[in-house]
Amino acid sequence: MMPYFVDTLRSLFITMRNVLRKPTTVHFPMERRVRAERYRASFALLHDQSGEELCIGCKACERICPSEVITVDAEKRESSVTGKKRSYAKAFTLDQNACIYCELCVQVCPTDAIVMTRTAQEPAFHRQTLCLNMERLYDNERTQPLTWANASRLIEMQAPPAKEPAKAQDNADADQTGQAR
Amino acid sequence: MSPYLRALIYSLVIITLLLTVTAWSIWFERKFSGRMQSRVGPTFYGPFGLLQPVVDGLKLLQKEFLIPESADRALFVLAPPLTVILALGTAAVVPFGSEVVAADLDVGVLYILALGSLTTVPVWIAGWASNNKYSLLGGMRAVAQGISYEIPLALAALVPVILAGSMSLTDIVNYQIQHGWFVFWPPGPGFLAFLFFLPASLAEANRIPFDIPEAESELIAGVTTEYTGMGFGLLYLAEYLHTLIVSAVASALFFGGWDGPLLPGLHWMVAKTLVLFAGIFAIRWSLVRFRSDQLMGICWRYLVPIGLGLVMVSAIWVQLAKASAQ
Repeated sequence: MMPYFVDTLRSLFITMRNVLRKPTTVHFPMERRVRAERYRASFALLHDQSGEELCIGCKACERICPSEVITVDAEKRESSVTGKKRSYAKAFTLDQNACIYCELCVQVCPTDAIVMTRTAQEPAFHRQTLCLNMERLYDNERTQPLTWANASRLIEMQAPPAKEPAKAQDNADADQTGQAR
Repeated sequence: MSPYLRALIYSLVIITLLLTVTAWSIWFERKFSGRMQSRVGPTFYGPFGLLQPVVDGLKLLQKEFLIPESADRALFVLAPPLTVILALGTAAVVPFGSEVVAADLDVGVLYILALGSLTTVPVWIAGWASNNKYSLLGGMRAVAQGISYEIPLALAALVPVILAGSMSLTDIVNYQIQHGWFVFWPPGPGFLAFLFFLPASLAEANRIPFDIPEAESELIAGVTTEYTGMGFGLLYLAEYLHTLIVSAVASALFFGGWDGPLLPGLHWMVAKTLVLFAGIFAIRWSLVRFRSDQLMGICWRYLVPIGLGLVMVSAIWVQLAKASAQ
């Protein structure tokens, strides 16, 4: 019987202490929480400075996509900017109905063509709306704020830090005498 | 004024007030529980969300009252109003002031206990008439729990009755005004009886932590599973009304009713009732549900034997007080 009483009083004390605290609610429609800097939602395909499409239709993203939502059709044609013949994506679809936003497609892109955008995902009435085709992906480049991360920056960030030999020695010492310190 | 007219006016006023207080107590509960969980509760309708009960009521009124095809139609429709009628009926003998009582019965406590035990009947009716396994299980649990907790409830209510030597709530309160509140004096039995009365009445009203008849995680919504619209609303209204009246009865039995300095009696009675009511809310949002067997264990292993002991102790106290007075 006694434990019941003690636990009852303890739980009452805890909830009563919470009553005196400030609520943590953000009143959503009136005030919006600032979105985190690394928030990522949708995707965009990019052009380079000269207005050339970066995507070369190599299908690396299609192959790595874990949920297999990317389909790329490649074609060879002459560039409208340089006049040289190279491969392009004829059709590029990214089905966000099943996308898990793992960003692997961004990481494998050899030409930094695909990046993610920072806007929140809009709810949609039709599944078709969530399926991004090439036109909409290039629209996103113009209209949506883009994240900083493209393939080469991510690789740079994830590479092991270049260690100096002396520093490495220090670290080894630290590991051995770690307990003492 | 004819006593019938007086009773009619009083009961109309008391019923209106009870329903209003119950409606806004739901607002209070939502605010209070929100703050307990670091939320803010209702904020949209009116200042501080004060119009939330009105909006809730309108929503429930708009909804269709669906009757399942295989349900027992008459009983299904009958159950929700019955629960409210029984809960309101209890309020008739509760004295809210020395004169503010709809019917000052000589056997007020007995009447309250009798109506209180009847409240399991409409709950069982609702469970049976729904023709749904979850409702039926909920109804069966409600009956088992109601019958078991009737005994500690009666034993706890018997302590003030023995001490005051009367079953009329008005007499009990008058006795407390002269001799001190039962929760403080005599030391021991009064306070323990209050500690027994509270959980037993919570179990009667099927409130958390004794809400196993509607246990959401096991029975969807128990007896209220098949009810929609105002039927559902009435079942919930009855639960809150029952809790409110239980706190009014507890404050009359143990906390001296309308006894208090400076302010008129009615104010004190209402204040005590509302404080107890808020305490019940605090319990509701702090504790988790008991298991069925734990519930029965607490009742039969602790509350009933200790309650019998309390009745004995208070009887001995009364005899000793008489002997020393002579």
